Amino acid sequence: MRARSEAEGAGGRVGLLSLVIVCFVMSAFPSGCSNNPYPPTREGEKVLYSSFVDAPRTLDPARAYNTRAHAITGAVYDTLLKYHFLKRPLELIPGLAVSLPEKTELPDGRVRYRFELRRDLLFADDACFGLDRPGQRTREVVAADIAFQLARIADAEVGSPVIEPFSNIDGFQEFSRALTARREADPGFAARPVHEQYAELGGIPGVRTPSSHVLDVILHRPYPQIRYWFAMEFSTPVPWEAVEYYDGRGGRPRFDDHPVGTGPYVLSEYSKRSRYVLERSKNWYGVRHPEWKAPAATYPSEGEEEDRLAGRLDYAGRTLPFIDRVEVRREKESIPRFNKFLQGYYDASGIIKESFDKVVQEDALSPEMKARGIALEKAVSPDVFYIGFNFDDPVVGRAGGERSRKLRQAMSRVIDVEEFTRVFNNGRGVPAQSPIPPGIYGYDPDYENPARRVDLERAKQLMVEAGYPGGIDPETGEALRLTFDSADTSSAGLTKVQFYVSAWKRLGIDVRVEATNYNQFLEKLRNGAHQVFESGWVADYPDPENFLFLLWSQMGKSKFGGPNATNFSNARFDELFVSMKTRENGPRRMAEIREMLRILEHERPWIELFHREEYSLYHGWVRNVKPMGISMPTYQYRDLDPVLRAQRRREWNEPIVWPAWVLLGAAVLVVLPGIRTYLKERQ
Amino acid sequence: MMDLEPHVISNLVTGALLVGIALIARSVRRQRLWREAATQLWRRRRIAILVVGVYLAIGLLDSIAWKGGVPEDVVDVLPNAPLTLIDRAFLGSREASYSAPFADVEFYGGDPLRNPGSHPLGTDILGRDVLYLSLKGARVALLIGGLTSLIAIPLALFFGVGAGYFGGRFDDGVFFLISTLASMPGLLLLIALIMAMGRGTVSVCVALGVTSWVGFCRLSRAETLKLRELDYVAAARALGVTEIRIVLRHILPNLAHLIVITFVLMFSGLVLSEVVLSWLGIGVDGSWGQMIDSARNELSREPIIWWNIAAAGTALFGLVLAVNSVGDAIRDVLDPRTLKEAP
Repeated sequence: MRARSEAEGAGGRVGLLSLVIVCFVMSAFPSGCSNNPYPPTREGEKVLYSSFVDAPRTLDPARAYNTRAHAITGAVYDTLLKYHFLKRPLELIPGLAVSLPEKTELPDGRVRYRFELRRDLLFADDACFGLDRPGQRTREVVAADIAFQLARIADAEVGSPVIEPFSNIDGFQEFSRALTARREADPGFAARPVHEQYAELGGIPGVRTPSSHVLDVILHRPYPQIRYWFAMEFSTPVPWEAVEYYDGRGGRPRFDDHPVGTGPYVLSEYSKRSRYVLERSKNWYGVRHPEWKAPAATYPSEGEEEDRLAGRLDYAGRTLPFIDRVEVRREKESIPRFNKFLQGYYDASGIIKESFDKVVQEDALSPEMKARGIALEKAVSPDVFYIGFNFDDPVVGRAGGERSRKLRQAMSRVIDVEEFTRVFNNGRGVPAQSPIPPGIYGYDPDYENPARRVDLERAKQLMVEAGYPGGIDPETGEALRLTFDSADTSSAGLTKVQFYVSAWKRLGIDVRVEATNYNQFLEKLRNGAHQVFESGWVADYPDPENFLFLLWSQMGKSKFGGPNATNFSNARFDELFVSMKTRENGPRRMAEIREMLRILEHERPWIELFHREEYSLYHGWVRNVKPMGISMPTYQYRDLDPVLRAQRRREWNEPIVWPAWVLLGAAVLVVLPGIRTYLKERQ
Repeated sequence: MMDLEPHVISNLVTGALLVGIALIARSVRRQRLWREAATQLWRRRRIAILVVGVYLAIGLLDSIAWKGGVPEDVVDVLPNAPLTLIDRAFLGSREASYSAPFADVEFYGGDPLRNPGSHPLGTDILGRDVLYLSLKGARVALLIGGLTSLIAIPLALFFGVGAGYFGGRFDDGVFFLISTLASMPGLLLLIALIMAMGRGTVSVCVALGVTSWVGFCRLSRAETLKLRELDYVAAARALGVTEIRIVLRHILPNLAHLIVITFVLMFSGLVLSEVVLSWLGIGVDGSWGQMIDSARNELSREPIIWWNIAAAGTALFGLVLAVNSVGDAIRDVLDPRTLKEAP
C-alpha cells in the first residue's frame, strides 16, 4: 500500500510539474510571440526606419567623404546652397543663404562669390555652447562659422580630402603653409585652441566676412564649380565651441562622433555597433520660421511630369520636415535586411541580387510585390565604372605609341558591357559611352562611342595592326601577356574579372589577374606598378569637370598623386579641359566636351563600362521618395503613414503558432516519461 | 640550361610520377610485408581505393598537356596555349551564363544554349561547364595534398628523428621550435605566410607545409626515442656503424609505416584546409574551395543555383572520404598495435 501511495504521489508531482511547464510556455505564446524589433509605443509616430552596414569612421564635415557618413552629416549639417529635390538635372537653390551667390569678376582675374546668410539661424542645442556663456545651449549662426570651417579644410592637421578644389580660394594654400610653419616654430601657438590660431593668422585671405551675415569667397582664378562645394557639408557652418569642447577627454566624445550643426535633424543617439537616431531639430530655420517659405525648407511646387504622376507634388508648399525621427539600425547581412523590409520593419530598401527575379519581372515590379503595395523607383547614378590602362607602362602605355593605341582599341572592342550587366547585375546598369553619366551636362543619350561597339573581327584586325596577329607577341612567340590588377580578392570579385579575361582571350591575349587587398592595390597605383585595372568614380557634384578631371594630366597618380590612375596625358585634352573647366554651360563648353570625348575615343585610356542603375523599393506608406543620385539624404522631404504601416506589419507578421504547439506536444510526450522515470528511480 | 616551359615540366613530372608508382608497385610486390599489407588493404577497401584511383587518373589526365590541335572555330582558347586532355575534352563547351544540368536553355532569360543538353552538372555564372571545373579541381586538390605532404613530412622527419636520435641541445632546440609554433594560432600564421609570399599554388602549399609538420614531428621523435634503444640499433652502434647510417638504415625504415599513414591522413586534412583558405579569399585558383566560395551566395538566389556547390562539395567529399577510408585501412594493416587479421 505504501509503495502504491508513493507512486501515486510521484504521479501527482509529475502532473503538477507538467502543468507548470505547460502554463509557463503557453503564457509566453500569445503575448510575447512577435518578431517586431521596435517598441509598440512608437507605432503611431512618424518614425522612418532604415539600416546601415558599417558605421562611418568620422562625422567631421571637413573629412567625411562617403555615403555612410553623408547619411548622417547631410541631415545634421545644413549648407549655404542645396539641390532642388525634384528637378533633374540637379539644380542649385539657396539653403542657409538668402539667395544664390552673387558673382563678381575682379579686375585682376580673380572672382568673388558673395553669400548672404539668413538671419536668426541657430545651431542645434548642445552643451558645447556653454563654453561661450555658462548655461547657454545654442547661438546664432554667423558667416565666421563658415570661414572657420573653410580654415579647418586648409588645416593640414584636420586631413580634409577636399583641399584641391578649395585651393582655388585666394590664399588658401598660403594660409595652410603658414599655419603648419607657425605650429612647428611656436609650440605655445600650437597648444592654443584652433579658432584662436586661425584668427591670429588672419584666416584665409580669400575668405572674408564684411559683416556678420555676409561671406565673400574670392577665387584666384575662375572656377564656377566652387558653388557645388557650397552645397556639400564640407562648407557647412561649424561652431568653434564644438571643435574645442568635443576633444575626447573627460568622458566627452570626439568631434568625429558628435556633430553639432544647423540641419533639420540632430543626432540624438549614436552607437556605431548597433544603431543611430536622428530627431527633428527644433532649432532648424524651417521649423522656427515657416513664414519665410525658404526654398530649402519648403516642399517644392515645381517638378517633372513624372513627379506629378507619382504624387510627389501633392505636398507642394508645405513646410519641411514631415518625419519626426529616423531610426537606423545596423544590419551586416543583406538577406536578413531585405527580409525585414519585406516584413515591413524597414521602410525602404535596395534590391539584393539574390532576390531580384522575385522582385522585378520584365523590368517592372512582380505581382507579388505590387500586391503588397511596394513601389519601385529607378535612377541612374551619376557615376562611371571603367577599365583603365596605365600610360606609364611600356606595353599598353604611351611609350608603345601607335602600337599600344591599337592594342587598347582592340581590347576596348571586345568587352560586352550589356552582357556583363545581364550576367552580374541583373541587367541593372547603363552601358557607358564616355566618362560623363546621364544627368550631367555633356551627356548625350544618342552618342555612341565607336570604340565601345563590340566587334570581334575589327578587334582582331586592330591586333594585327598593333603587331600582335592572333594575340601572338612577336618577341616571345607566345600569347601577349598582360596583368590585370584587382582590389577584390573574393571569389565573386575574381569571377567578374574573369569575364574581361575571357573576352580578351578571344583576341589571344593572356591576361593574368593579380588580386591584392585594397591598400596594396592603391600602393601599386601610386607606384605605377600596374598595367590594366578596374576602377570607378561617383560624382561629387553634377558637372562634367568632376569626371573629365580624372584624365587631366595634372591629376596624374604617379606624378602628382591625383586620381588619374591611368597617368594619361594629352596636350590637346589638357588644353580643352582647362578651358572647359572654367566655362559656364553653353555651346562652347559643349563643343569642347565633344572634342575631348573624340580624343578619348581614339586614345582609349579607359574602356568605359557602365553607369550604375539603382533600383529602390519602398512601402506604400512612404511618400515623396526620389533618388538624388549624389550622396545626399532627403529625410526632410519624406512622409509616411504610421497607422497603415502598423496595420500592414500586423497582417504580414501574423505568428504561425501551430508548429510550436506540435513541438510542445512532442516535447511533453518525450519529457514527461523521462521525469516520471527519474522520480521513480529517486524513490 | 634549357628553359623548359611549365607544361613540359608538368609532363615530365607526370611521367616521373608514373614511373615512381610503377617502381613502388614492383617493390611492394617483391617484399612480403608490403605485399601482404597491400593485399589486405585491397580486400578491406576495394571501393575506396578505386575511387582514389579515379581521382588520380583525372589528375594525371589533367597534367598531360601539349600545344596545337585546337579547331579554328574555338575562340576562347589562347593561341599556342598548352591544353590538357581534360581541356580538350571540353573545348567549345562554354555558354553565356548559368544553365541547369542537362538544360536546353539558359537558366535566366531562357535563351537557347550553344550546346543544349550537354552539361550534366550545368554551367556557372560565366557559362563554364561545372563538370569540367570539378574535374579540373581534382588536380589542384591532389597537388595541394601531395606537394604539401612532400614539404611537411621531410621537415617533420628531419627534426623529429634528429631530436629523438641525437637528443641533447638539438632536441631542446626542436622542442622549443615545436612549442613556439604550436602556441601560434595556425590559421593566422597561414594567412600571414600567404600574404607575405603572395597568392598561388606553391605559396599555399609552402604555408600549409610549414604549419602542419609539428604533429608528425612529435610522433616521429617519440618513435625514434623508442627505436634507438632497441638491440639492433645498439648492435649497429657497437659495430662502429656511423650515426647517419644508423638513422638511414635502421631508424627510418622502421618509421615507414608511420610515414605512409601520416601521408594519407594528412592529405585529406590539407585538401580541406584549402577550402577554408578559399573562404578567406586566399585559396588556390581553380580549386573546389574556390568553387564552393563563389557558389555560396548563389544558394540564396531565387530560384536557387544549387549545382555549383553540389558538384564541388560532392567531388571534395568523395576524395576526402575515400582517402580517409584508405588511410584508416593502411593504419590497420601497418600499425602493429592495430594489426588484425583480414575478415
